[in-house]
Amino acid sequence: MRPTVTTYDETLVATALIAHRPIHPMLVPIPIVCFVGALLTDIAYYATAEMMWADFSAWLLVVGVIMGVLAAIAGLVDFLSNRLIRAQAPAWPHLIGNLVVLVLAFFNALIHTRDAWTSVVPVGLVLSVITVLILPITGWLGWTMLYRHGVGVTR
Amino acid sequence: MMMRARFLRSILVCGSLLCLAGCNDGGGDPKAQIGANPPLPELQQYLLPPMHIAKVVGWKKGETPTVAQGLKIEPLATGLQHPRSLYTLPNGDVLVVESKAPPAAAIKRPKEIVMGYIESWATSGGNTGESNRITLLRDTNGDGIPDSQSVFLDHLNSPFGVALVGNDLYVANTDAIVKYPYKEGDTKITAPGEILTPLPGGPIDHHWTKSLVASPDGKLLYVGVGSNSNITENGMEAEHNRADILEVDRATGRFRIFASGLRNPNGLTFEPQSGALWTVVNERDEIGPDLVPDYMTSVKDGAFYGWPYSYYGRHVDPRVQPQRPDLVAKAIPPDYALSSHVAPLGLAFYTANNLPEQYRGGAFVGEHGSWNRQVLNGYKVVFVPFSNGKPNGMAQDVVTGFLDSNEHAQGRPVGLAVDKAGGLLIADDVGNTIWRVTSSGSGTSPAARL
Repeated sequence: MRPTVTTYDETLVATALIAHRPIHPMLVPIPIVCFVGALLTDIAYYATAEMMWADFSAWLLVVGVIMGVLAAIAGLVDFLSNRLIRAQAPAWPHLIGNLVVLVLAFFNALIHTRDAWTSVVPVGLVLSVITVLILPITGWLGWTMLYRHGVGVTR
Repeated sequence: MMMRARFLRSILVCGSLLCLAGCNDGGGDPKAQIGANPPLPELQQYLLPPMHIAKVVGWKKGETPTVAQGLKIEPLATGLQHPRSLYTLPNGDVLVVESKAPPAAAIKRPKEIVMGYIESWATSGGNTGESNRITLLRDTNGDGIPDSQSVFLDHLNSPFGVALVGNDLYVANTDAIVKYPYKEGDTKITAPGEILTPLPGGPIDHHWTKSLVASPDGKLLYVGVGSNSNITENGMEAEHNRADILEVDRATGRFRIFASGLRNPNGLTFEPQSGALWTVVNERDEIGPDLVPDYMTSVKDGAFYGWPYSYYGRHVDPRVQPQRPDLVAKAIPPDYALSSHVAPLGLAFYTANNLPEQYRGGAFVGEHGSWNRQVLNGYKVVFVPFSNGKPNGMAQDVVTGFLDSNEHAQGRPVGLAVDKAGGLLIADDVGNTIWRVTSSGSGTSPAARL
């Protein structure tokens, strides 16, 4: 065991906290699951033309966007209130990538308010695919900040 | 609650901004889409559909709609609860069908929450008291004009159409045609009704008004059953026997589909000269301010008018899947466009002789008014001249002024009827009034004019 690794830098502490636990990583899985789920239900609708799947997509996108905005607010608070967090190499790409995800998902939710087939095919489905393709990249950057740089970690 | 309202409103503002950037949303001249073969623009698909409904403010004392020259208008009955359709009995009594929408189905999509909230601004006018009943208006002083009102038939299920054949009075509730015994002069029916035939009702009951008319020989009833969605978004299985006019055998209750592909047919009436069945139809929404024009048409036995697969004949709607080219090939265009999104719900041919000569033999249409275009359309009663049983000429505004100068709705016209003295009656479902239009020069009796 190397003490230099296990003793994290206290100055990378997050600002948006519940009982010393950072909020951003708590919220982030929700939009990720919603957007991946919406892609799956979009594909199911494309394959079956069964409205139930398109309805699922619409709910998943709306909930994903709302929870994504909350996660973004918590992340932004951490980002803006700590110069050392902003200085982490993955911080900006992580922020911009996830902003793109939220904007795409917002438009996708609007597309999904259309009635029947064109609520999904083709624009909705394409947006769902692009959204989900960006998620592993921004997720990777986020995990890098947490698990390798120790952003938000306190001891 | 405030937070939620503000949040929804800001989403809508964002939506309209996007739309302003992306599309020209005002639409063209609504008058260009009146008559046979209306011009149809390319369809557009929205990020958010425009929702512009006139906020309901109601009538202040003494205020009335405006009528065309040579006519006058007065309230015949006020203080009603969402009056939607009218029926004149042989003795001159007028039945006012007061009706509320059936309970909403379970919400399927987040969109319905937002749209329901916005629509609640517009329909708040009639949801305050007892409704779902029929009120009788009776002429008590012999001038042919009804002047007293009482409850005729109560505890109905979102009724709309009424038809009398002999001593059988049929009421089209949203879920069934119900038969009641009626004798001339009755002011109240207490007998329990007898179901003639069930109709497609809930749990989803999107277009719930069931228009009703009896064939001239009294053997058959025709009932309009609107679609269960805008454009199949509740699934095709929800559309069973819907977007149809059903022909019901009065003796047995057995029915068959008389005509199909009519998205929301109302105002079923027989044209007096040709004897053909006519209807006004609310066409589909959310593909543009000038799509799809609502229309009136003669209804041919066995004909298919397009919904959901196509509109105005063979214009395919890409929102429907799987598509049915075989049905699209059969689709016929309707006779006469009334302009887009005007929401015609009432139709009455005028064969009496109180109103000026020009109105005799033609059709009045009650246009409830638009929600799906930025520039409001409808919210008035128009007259379509007919000759030889066919529309012949441009629709004319006859009763306007349902919107005030701020584009708030003082009233909205729905069902129409002609009373025994020849006055045109208009059910105003948010002004909660029955209006009566007569010739301004004639007094109120047809005899005075002759």
